[in-house]
Amino acid sequence: MSIRLFMVQKLHEILSKAGRGGSLPGTLALKMDPEFLSRFHMPDKVILVTGTNGKTTTMNLIAEALKANGLSVLCNHRGDNLNVGLATALAAGSNDRYEIQADAVVLEVDELTLYREFHRLHPTALVITNFFRDQLDRAGELETIIRKIMELTENFEGDLILNGDDPNSLRLADHAKKARVHCFSMAETIKSRNISDEASEGKFCPRCGRPLIYDFYQYSHIGRFRCPYDGFGKIRPDLYVDRVNFDNETFRADGFTYHSFINSGYAIYNCAAVLCLLKALGLNLPAANEVFKTYKLKEGRNEVFNLSSPCTINLVKNPTGANEVMKYITAQPMDKNICIFLNDNDLDGTDISWIWDAHFERLNDPLIHTIVCSGQRAYDMALRLKYEGLEDRIRVIEDSRDAIAWLDDQKMESFVIATYTALHPTRGILSRQARRHRS
Amino acid sequence: MKLKVLWMYHDLMDLYGDKGNIQVLKTRCEKRGIDLTVDTCTIGEIRTISDYDIFFLGGGADREQNLIYEDLLLRREGIEEAMKSGTAFLLICGGYQMFGKYYRDQDGNTVPCLSFFDYYTVASDRDHRCIGNIAVEVNMDGEHFLAVGFENHGGQTENVSFPFGSVRYGHGNTFNGKFEGFLNDQVLATYMHGPLLPKNPMIADLVVRRGLRRNYGDVSLDPLDDTLETKARTVMLERLGVSLENRQEAEKQSD
Repeated sequence: MSIRLFMVQKLHEILSKAGRGGSLPGTLALKMDPEFLSRFHMPDKVILVTGTNGKTTTMNLIAEALKANGLSVLCNHRGDNLNVGLATALAAGSNDRYEIQADAVVLEVDELTLYREFHRLHPTALVITNFFRDQLDRAGELETIIRKIMELTENFEGDLILNGDDPNSLRLADHAKKARVHCFSMAETIKSRNISDEASEGKFCPRCGRPLIYDFYQYSHIGRFRCPYDGFGKIRPDLYVDRVNFDNETFRADGFTYHSFINSGYAIYNCAAVLCLLKALGLNLPAANEVFKTYKLKEGRNEVFNLSSPCTINLVKNPTGANEVMKYITAQPMDKNICIFLNDNDLDGTDISWIWDAHFERLNDPLIHTIVCSGQRAYDMALRLKYEGLEDRIRVIEDSRDAIAWLDDQKMESFVIATYTALHPTRGILSRQARRHRS
Repeated sequence: MKLKVLWMYHDLMDLYGDKGNIQVLKTRCEKRGIDLTVDTCTIGEIRTISDYDIFFLGGGADREQNLIYEDLLLRREGIEEAMKSGTAFLLICGGYQMFGKYYRDQDGNTVPCLSFFDYYTVASDRDHRCIGNIAVEVNMDGEHFLAVGFENHGGQTENVSFPFGSVRYGHGNTFNGKFEGFLNDQVLATYMHGPLLPKNPMIADLVVRRGLRRNYGDVSLDPLDDTLETKARTVMLERLGVSLENRQEAEKQSD
């Protein structure tokens, strides 16, 4: 029995009983033992999930789908994806001899953390959701991240699950010579487009540098692409999704019809990643249908608070995420107000220039009445909107409580967009405000 | 009045929201009734650069920068002609570096650049990347002001004859450096993203005036309502503890 492990586990137990999550136990563990993560005896299935967007959702869906297949699962369900979060999750799920007490471990791992901790975790499968331009100041250029992950996968001998419709992810297939590569892909839907104004990275063939040709785009640079010179992008998908029906929220994969938990293309991509993994592991696919159908998105992902009128909050971290959230908001057919909380702490990205890469002109919609700008960089947000001709609809309210109170006073449906460090405080304000309406 | 802008490699050199600069030029001209057109130009496209009043080149990721490198060098004569004809240049980050003598990468390989100016850039090691908010005190075309932005560059640019401004917070041309960017009568080259122009409308207007100069001479522009711009800039300057006054105080103390 390890005294250190025992202390870490006790701390986790005490904090959990007090209703506090967080990564403090993991922080302590790694301080005492830098090799803490490599001490664990892992089960036969160790599945890591990484990528720019959709990590938390995909990881939770995988965990649930494995449970639906009768396996016991350990995962970092809240999405604490740095080394301290992983350490906390593993400690909580092991006995006092570092033996993980589950049939499978499913961990969401931050892209940079993946590079540092990959070999300590002994993964048997790696799932990559997608690669988009993200927080450049923290993570560096996308190209650097992809190259680092290529270094890892070069000698990886497990299952590598890739998004076949994302050129940045599919690139890994060329270099992962020893892995069993499986990719998922989605057929054209009524929302697919022939042109994209959102693609930034991934316009060029990674093999020859020439422009890629797209038959259609699903969103951003995700879609059916190919290089006419060297055939990059010509794939035979291992999991193919078609008959996507946004009215019924259904799609088909391998001859079976599934229900999605939310009516959007990127959610179906998350489901496709899950099904692709299940297939690679030889598990039952339709068992995942109940999981997809009933999955509740985590805090801050389309979460609704009942103020005087419903108020929906969404987390936004990068241009692609912001674009998708704005598409969702503008697709809602009612009059509405919007409130954007823009912070620039380390976890948000201290460089807020990404707001100029996102398509905020989409908010120029007659059903959108006022756009409240709040948070540490409220005025930068207001400026961004001003230069989209939204000058008359901007309202800067720096204090977050006042901003939410103002929304509530309007008695109109509202949508809140918040960056990472603004999310939890804002949820707190919203739930207090909602409680007031109940009592 | 008419103003023609050439936006170089819009599809490749658009890191860190640099496209916002074009949007600012457009909006500020529109509000003043200046007829501004923006043409883009990417690899292999033929353009007579001297036809344009403003030449804009933003920053790009390493991979994209490698893709445009040869194409840009092929355009050297055209760019030189534009310089002679009075075109104004706005160059950010990678665009800034490309107008110098050379770029030396981390492996020690020297890549020749356009060599319009004597400065050169050497890649830094990982620990000396210049990242963060930056405030610069600027003297440009007779105006004296503070500009703010966000820098994120590994390259250390040395041998700059006339910098754009002196660093009041952040790094500038070199790690913990004193000066930022390069400036002459026609060319403004800087590491400042953010993007640069939205929060610094005085720079935007000076660039517009430089662009108008070759056809209309020295033009004064109608003032615009810059309340939000000023507020966004002031919030950052206050956070960084920088003002035009406290510089003088700091100097007095050191005397």
